[in-house]
Amino acid sequence: MVKGVFVMIQLRNVSKRFAHDEVIKSISLAIHKGEIFGIIGASGAGKSTLLRLMNLLEVPETGDVEVDGRKLTSLSYKKLRQARQSIGMIFQHFNLVANKTVYDNVLVSLELANYPRKDRRNRVIECLQFVGLNSYMEKYPSQLSGGQKQRVAIARAIANNPQVLLCDEPTSSLDPKTTAEILHVLGDVNKRLGVTIVIVSHEMEVIKSICNRVTVIEDGEIYETVAIEPKGIQQINNTSKRLVEQLKKDGEFDHA
Amino acid sequence: MPEILVQYRMEIWQSIGQTFIMVGMSILAAIIIGLPVGTLLFLSRKGKMLENPIVFSTLNLLVNIIRSFPFLLLVVFLIPFTRIIIGTAIGTAAATVPLSIIAIAHYSRLVEQSLLEVPKGVIEAAISMGASVREVIFKFLYVEARSGLVLGLTTSIISFISYSTIMGVVGGGGIGDFAIRYGYQQFKTDLMIYMIIIMVILVQAIQFTGTAIAKVIDKR
Repeated sequence: MVKGVFVMIQLRNVSKRFAHDEVIKSISLAIHKGEIFGIIGASGAGKSTLLRLMNLLEVPETGDVEVDGRKLTSLSYKKLRQARQSIGMIFQHFNLVANKTVYDNVLVSLELANYPRKDRRNRVIECLQFVGLNSYMEKYPSQLSGGQKQRVAIARAIANNPQVLLCDEPTSSLDPKTTAEILHVLGDVNKRLGVTIVIVSHEMEVIKSICNRVTVIEDGEIYETVAIEPKGIQQINNTSKRLVEQLKKDGEFDHA
Repeated sequence: MPEILVQYRMEIWQSIGQTFIMVGMSILAAIIIGLPVGTLLFLSRKGKMLENPIVFSTLNLLVNIIRSFPFLLLVVFLIPFTRIIIGTAIGTAAATVPLSIIAIAHYSRLVEQSLLEVPKGVIEAAISMGASVREVIFKFLYVEARSGLVLGLTTSIISFISYSTIMGVVGGGGIGDFAIRYGYQQFKTDLMIYMIIIMVILVQAIQFTGTAIAKVIDKR
């Protein structure tokens, strides 16, 4: 490991089984402060489970999980809840509370962390501004597009100034153009707020565009971890004209 | 106003009052005890936050047993218990005991069903934000399930009204009892029909209100 690198997330020999199925087989992994770390692999390889071990949504049978110097696996339930307040998480299906407004969805995360009452409103607005949705405060999630919902989820996840943001297939139910938008927001969260990001995805394009290091998971084990140069988020041109062009181009290939 | 209603207006008002007391107590019991019991039924299930097979199967069995009793038999069966609590097994106050018990069993099951419809991911997001069990319940579960909880209570209240009509057997009174004693047993068919009309109006009003509230608070 490079000298002077601060380890933000440390997994030591963690394993996890569901019934008789060993989903994670004694994995050790160090994720550095400030990086965007990718986890990729086939369906069922255990990548989501690996991510969920990092905030103990899944409790490992063996091994330790350490985040920002705190050993989560040996914390009391109360201390674990506190630790989770500085580990943000977003999901493939956003998981917003449908009966709360955009504002209240972000607010609840501040309430849970006992954020100073008088500063809450400003903080919610600040976070919504960060994701570009401050004019949607009074809307309900059902009135938003998928990309907008994911932005609200990001605002909710960063409200308590977390050290880490865990992303479980954050763009897998979004179209390519919205995917690019969300990746930009995540890039901002990393650069402007200095948040360490872990992204689980089955989409190679997503991983290649913003990650600094990537682990490939196969059958619950690390196949290999590689350092890459993030190639940047592709601008997606999704106009109908462009779609038709692409279709025709591929058609010609078939004829050739 | 038909003559016969004027003639019996005192008795009618009294029986309406008795129905309101019996149904009102059932609603209170449903909310104060049925809601927590239903929530515990949900939370103690396999894979939920307070997973506990013993608590779950005990509550589950209890709720099933109470609900499988023919209600008239439950009333009779509970007479000794009612006597301990109220001091007598006869009268409107005594009638609220078996009604409250069936109310708890009835509503807790509907609460459990409503909570099961809350997307698993929402609860997961709450836990990932560091929510305690209490916070998950009040800031997430009840918020997300609120229209189901209201519709369930509406259905329950209508059942309570139906259950309350047979409380004449223990001297509970109420509209149903009045309709049977005066309308049916004294061959005043018109009086019986008027009582049925009152019940229909009552049920319609409750259903309409419940549906309207559920619709307004549902933003999903």
